[in-house]
Amino acid sequence: MAETSVVDQLDSLVSLERGEIDRRIFSDQEIFNLEMKHIFGRAWLFLCHESQIPKRGDFFEAPMGTDNVLVVRQKDGGIKAFLNTCSHRGNAVCRAEEGNVRNFMCTYHGWTFGLDGELVGVPGSSLFYKDKLDRSKYPLRKVAQLESYRGFVFATFDETAPPLPEYLGATGRLGLDLLAERGDMEVIPGIQKFTVKTNWKFTVDNVFDYYHPQITHMSAFALGLIPAPPDNYMEGGAKSETGANLEVPFLPTDLHNVVMVGEYGHAISGPDQDALEVSTGVEPFAWRHNDETQARLGRHGSRVAGHPHIFPTTWVTAGGQLSLRVPREPGVTEIWWFSFRDKNASPEENAALLSSHIHFFGPAGLLEQEDGENWAQSTLQTKGLRSREVPQLLKMGLGTSEVVKDDGLAIIDAPINEHAQLWTYHSWREWLRNPTWEELRERTVPHDRF
Amino acid sequence: MTTETAQQAQLTAVLLQHEVEQFYYHEAALLDAHRYEDWVLLFTEDTHYFMPLRRTVTRRQLHLEFTKPGEMAFFDEDKNYLEIRARKFATGTSWAEDPPSRTRHLITNVHIAEKSGDELQVHSNFLLYRTRLKNDVDQWVGRREDTLRFTEAGLAIAKRHIFLDQTVLQSANLSSFF
Ligand code: FES
Ligand SMILES: [Fe+2]
Repeated sequence: MAETSVVDQLDSLVSLERGEIDRRIFSDQEIFNLEMKHIFGRAWLFLCHESQIPKRGDFFEAPMGTDNVLVVRQKDGGIKAFLNTCSHRGNAVCRAEEGNVRNFMCTYHGWTFGLDGELVGVPGSSLFYKDKLDRSKYPLRKVAQLESYRGFVFATFDETAPPLPEYLGATGRLGLDLLAERGDMEVIPGIQKFTVKTNWKFTVDNVFDYYHPQITHMSAFALGLIPAPPDNYMEGGAKSETGANLEVPFLPTDLHNVVMVGEYGHAISGPDQDALEVSTGVEPFAWRHNDETQARLGRHGSRVAGHPHIFPTTWVTAGGQLSLRVPREPGVTEIWWFSFRDKNASPEENAALLSSHIHFFGPAGLLEQEDGENWAQSTLQTKGLRSREVPQLLKMGLGTSEVVKDDGLAIIDAPINEHAQLWTYHSWREWLRNPTWEELRERTVPHDRF
Repeated sequence: MTTETAQQAQLTAVLLQHEVEQFYYHEAALLDAHRYEDWVLLFTEDTHYFMPLRRTVTRRQLHLEFTKPGEMAFFDEDKNYLEIRARKFATGTSWAEDPPSRTRHLITNVHIAEKSGDELQVHSNFLLYRTRLKNDVDQWVGRREDTLRFTEAGLAIAKRHIFLDQTVLQSANLSSFF
């Protein structure tokens, strides 16, 4: 008897009630294909920041699902994005990751496209095409919609998608505001890109995972790179291979997290800013002190010291970076780090910020060095015939949290929990059903309890 | 007479080349033996250990291929950060290297480009082969531009800039030194 396809079992793949996920979603090719079509083929996806392409002809190549698009600064200062594939026979019309050009010439037969993607040159068009080729019919294929929110450029392949601010909703907008509010922000030259043998959902799940740093990044705690109160350890916990108790640092912030869940699957999760200050004694970033910023972020937003995530794959860090998780295959994901600074910051401030960008995340980051192997090994085990039958658990805080709805946000104040992960998987499943935008929004209106 | 001087100069050059190569072999052996804290001692206090990001750009824009100091990088370390990194591996909880990777540092094409005062500008190529766990294999090939300084303790690395021959890094992390 043929095995039933995972796709026919969408309902049973994610259980919000039990806090369990079917592991097959991390390695199944059919699921991956559906994700590319129904999620990455429709959602608003982050492409780049406007500061990366300031001048006419500046371009940056960005992934959109299985496609690659060129994001290009236009002559009139606008931005357009089109598929990096020639309308003649498909060759990539640009083979650099970024740069500046007058036009894009395909190196196969020489068709040449303007900055707006229009076909402006065809070698031998009168000789070979007898001037019968209507150039206006063969531009580079554009994305359906492109919009910027406070300098962050997003696009979608779906012309029926709601406008970007509506798609982001209060939760997604707050996530980007938490970066934009730091000053006149620009991307520091150089996007770190690296490859992890993992399913993209593991990398997204981890964004909200404030349970793992104490163990995964224990060595960074030991060195004082992550501030933790001294001599305060978690009880009942981890033992080393020789049976010794591991001194797992206990952070009072674990007892006070702020979670926000939003329509279409966006979420924010992590420590409460006030709790963080009290427990670590670390001064909040200066940018938070500004009244305008406080007003803009709002009563709830200004408490967020954790991690916003814009569904499906855009993470804004507390330190002022943006991480894009790029699915390439079911078991291969690229991580792209965009690192920001304030144009008006002093050289000393910039140097300190650059150092923290380089030393925390990225492949050589003193934290992220440790992350990739966890995800790769987790992905690997989902391939075992029996191993993949073991459910993935997201039970922390399950059924114990009230959701307060205020200011367009759905807020949970609770000890460290796994609500944001569950919310992401729940929304993921609703996306896979390929509903209308209206249905999708309704089905991802946050519940009253988690 | 002239011939003798020329020979003398050649001999000096050969001995210097030998000294530099032996220094690199010693350094590579320390790394492959996971003796990171000893390895850090090979760096001067004012050292700069830097691995920029590399981008695929057209020939016309090749000057933008590598990021520069002050921009994003994979490594941008002073001596203090190198020490922190070495200590991290010694904590016993740095899981990226536990179980430890097997590494082999192959250093070739050692070229002393310039000698002035007590410093040498040395270019070399490397192949760093790493295996992890049962079947993870990573290989990094690239070029290093070093400033080596003669100190009382012998040669020391006053600058190391590492230029990797990859743009999108083909590995999950960089928990090795180059
Ligand atoms: S494929 Fe581009 S010109 Fe032919
Ligand atoms: Fe982590």
